[in-house]
Amino acid sequence: MAPHSPGTDQIDTLLSFGTVVAAILIVAINVALIYAVRRYRSERGTEPRQVRSGRRTQFRAGAVLTAFAAVILIVSLIYTDKAREIPTTGSAGLASASSTPLRIEATGQQWLWRYDYPNEAFSYYKLVVPVDTTVELDLVSTDVIHTWDVPELAGKRDAVPGKTNHVVFRADEEGTFDGQSATFSGQAYAAMRTEVEVVSPQEYKDFIAAQKAGIQAAQDRVVGLIENGEVP
Amino acid sequence: MSAASEIVADGFPSRRPRWIEITTSADHKDVGRVMIVAALGFLFIALVELLLMRLQLAIPENSLLTPVTFNRMLSLYGATAIFLFAIPLALGFFYYLAPLQIGARGTALPRLGQLGLWLYIAGATVLYAGFLFTPSEAGVNPLAPLSELAFLPNNGVDAWAAATGLATLGFVLIAINLVATLRKMRAPGMAWRRVPVFAWSAAIGSWLLLVIGPVMLAAITMLLIDRNFDGIFFADGSGGAPLLWEHLSWIFFTGSYMLVLITALGAIAEIVPVFAGKPLFNRGAVIGSLVAIAVIGTLAWMQNMMTSPIGIGWMYFAMIMSLALIVPFGLIIFNLIATMIGGAVRMRAPLLFAIGAISMISIGITAEMVHSMVAVSWRLHNTTDATAATHFALIGGSVFGGFAALHYWFPKMTGRTMGETLGRFSFWTLVAGTLLTFVPLFFAGADHGQVVDAYKFFDGSGVDTDNLIASIGAFVLAIGIVLALANAIASRNGGARAGHDQWGGDSLEWFALSPPEPHNFDVLPDVRSDRPMRDIRTAIANRTHRAEQAARETQPVA
Repeated sequence: MAPHSPGTDQIDTLLSFGTVVAAILIVAINVALIYAVRRYRSERGTEPRQVRSGRRTQFRAGAVLTAFAAVILIVSLIYTDKAREIPTTGSAGLASASSTPLRIEATGQQWLWRYDYPNEAFSYYKLVVPVDTTVELDLVSTDVIHTWDVPELAGKRDAVPGKTNHVVFRADEEGTFDGQSATFSGQAYAAMRTEVEVVSPQEYKDFIAAQKAGIQAAQDRVVGLIENGEVP
Repeated sequence: MSAASEIVADGFPSRRPRWIEITTSADHKDVGRVMIVAALGFLFIALVELLLMRLQLAIPENSLLTPVTFNRMLSLYGATAIFLFAIPLALGFFYYLAPLQIGARGTALPRLGQLGLWLYIAGATVLYAGFLFTPSEAGVNPLAPLSELAFLPNNGVDAWAAATGLATLGFVLIAINLVATLRKMRAPGMAWRRVPVFAWSAAIGSWLLLVIGPVMLAAITMLLIDRNFDGIFFADGSGGAPLLWEHLSWIFFTGSYMLVLITALGAIAEIVPVFAGKPLFNRGAVIGSLVAIAVIGTLAWMQNMMTSPIGIGWMYFAMIMSLALIVPFGLIIFNLIATMIGGAVRMRAPLLFAIGAISMISIGITAEMVHSMVAVSWRLHNTTDATAATHFALIGGSVFGGFAALHYWFPKMTGRTMGETLGRFSFWTLVAGTLLTFVPLFFAGADHGQVVDAYKFFDGSGVDTDNLIASIGAFVLAIGIVLALANAIASRNGGARAGHDQWGGDSLEWFALSPPEPHNFDVLPDVRSDRPMRDIRTAIANRTHRAEQAARETQPVA
């Protein structure tokens, strides 16, 4: 899973850092544990030493642990802060989104995502965004809690009814990225997937135009049917 | 007891049947034992549910279970593992042993504890009386608004809420009794600085339950009002807030997680010194760390909400609390290992399970440390990586820690020892099973983002092998647990007879008979140190020695 947005780059680095630290810690603890158990068997026939540690040893151990925790905290704060930075639209991106991000509303509903673009176009399941353009998704929900998660493009965020959550990303290349809802939402939760298609700015404009034309055509047809009396 | 056969028992009122004796008894040992047995029974049931889910997830896009059946298994598994197994097992051991360890002849409020037990049993009955209603389909933590009437209109969530509510109320009552007993009924000389670590765990765990239990009860009450009396606590749009349920329930679940670890670490801190023949390296540091885990750990509840629409400051707060836990957990592990260094380690089954517990917990909490980094959580939250981390910590605590405690205190409770060979065999099977089941889930979650709680995964998502290994591992895990439970059942009447001080223990429960008399102790020793049983053994040895000397000196010279 390769990162394709500045924010996920930072998440990836921090995750790698954490994984390495965790692996070292787990190995160290377990090696020490197994060493202590095997080395000091009662079979070696020495009387156990009835010693207890003084406070100084404990304070030292505590200080080492505190320093370790502080290092983890600082590294984590630095990378989390970087991951939160809102990137600016690049030169290959959508020109109209150069100063403010392209805002798209993503609505979670059992068990489908709906995307509302500026200028009244909308799509279900598939989100189409221009490449190298900062996109801000406003996550809302009409029913239960859903989590929007396309790991290659952004960290996951919950869509909670009554609240608006935000996801910001800037896709660095054209392509299709898969995502899945990540909060249990009932029967068809496992099938609640989504797809982000990153295209060139021109293709994006064409897509919006096509969606609007399609929506308009469908609307006209319904209105026409009603006017002809074919729909009661 | 054949010497007593001369007593004429004619006309002596016959005792009531054994099962009536036990079910009506308010004695802390009877209540504790019923609780432990029930909890271990529910471990088996949770295991069956886990196996069914793992079977469904063995291959991609499997259709063995329907989505609804899978969701019911998931909900039952969560409630069973947490409310009917992990918490009552911890409380059962506390309730049986803490009064013995502090040299008390009973508990302060025995009927309250008995009520607690039967509320827990009532909760379990409600959860499993599935022929009267359908089980919950709302998942392990039934997040509102999914758990609201509008989205799950059948009785399942009501049953879940009633069941967990009854059980939680029972736990709180038992905690009240434990707090009162530990406060008021310690033997002469048993100052807090001499109270055994496991009894300290009981005190800390009970206080923790007194804080988090009512929070959960409040949340459950609100959920029931929402569902049955048109309440709006968790419904958005009319003044309610779905996030309120998340906060309240996560406070409880995070606190329970800490309770499990506090119990396990307390038991391990009893077992390791006894089998190393040394005192705990530093009691104060271990006990202080247990207190810190209870407080700081519970304050980290928002670690579960790092993708929710809450301010970044709250996420940083949760991260700071989680990372602060490195210090107490690190100190405890350091002290446990240091206790063994320079000792004379007897490698018996209780110690084996205790070592396994430390090992598994170390994997689990280290993984949790990674999860608590905010940006990492944005990637790993609700992936199987989180499932694996939680299960390593909780299986390490409840199953390995629980079995360590069971092997260690089984002779005290029954007068018999659990089979050593079978114990070892079940231990290694459990280790293999736990690693096989949950290590692949780490990879599936971290590398491919496989989500939790889903009834299927799709072909071509790269997690086929991981899930297949995990499913096979689950069966190995199941065999390990079944072997350990079978060992306990078989040893109940068939195990080698145990003396009153089977392992050469340090604390006062080993001063009582095995199993203890209803009044626990005929005489109460004067406690002079934090290893009173060792003092008693030394005193007896000295007295025997002096008597021999005196006898030798008075021998007439021929």
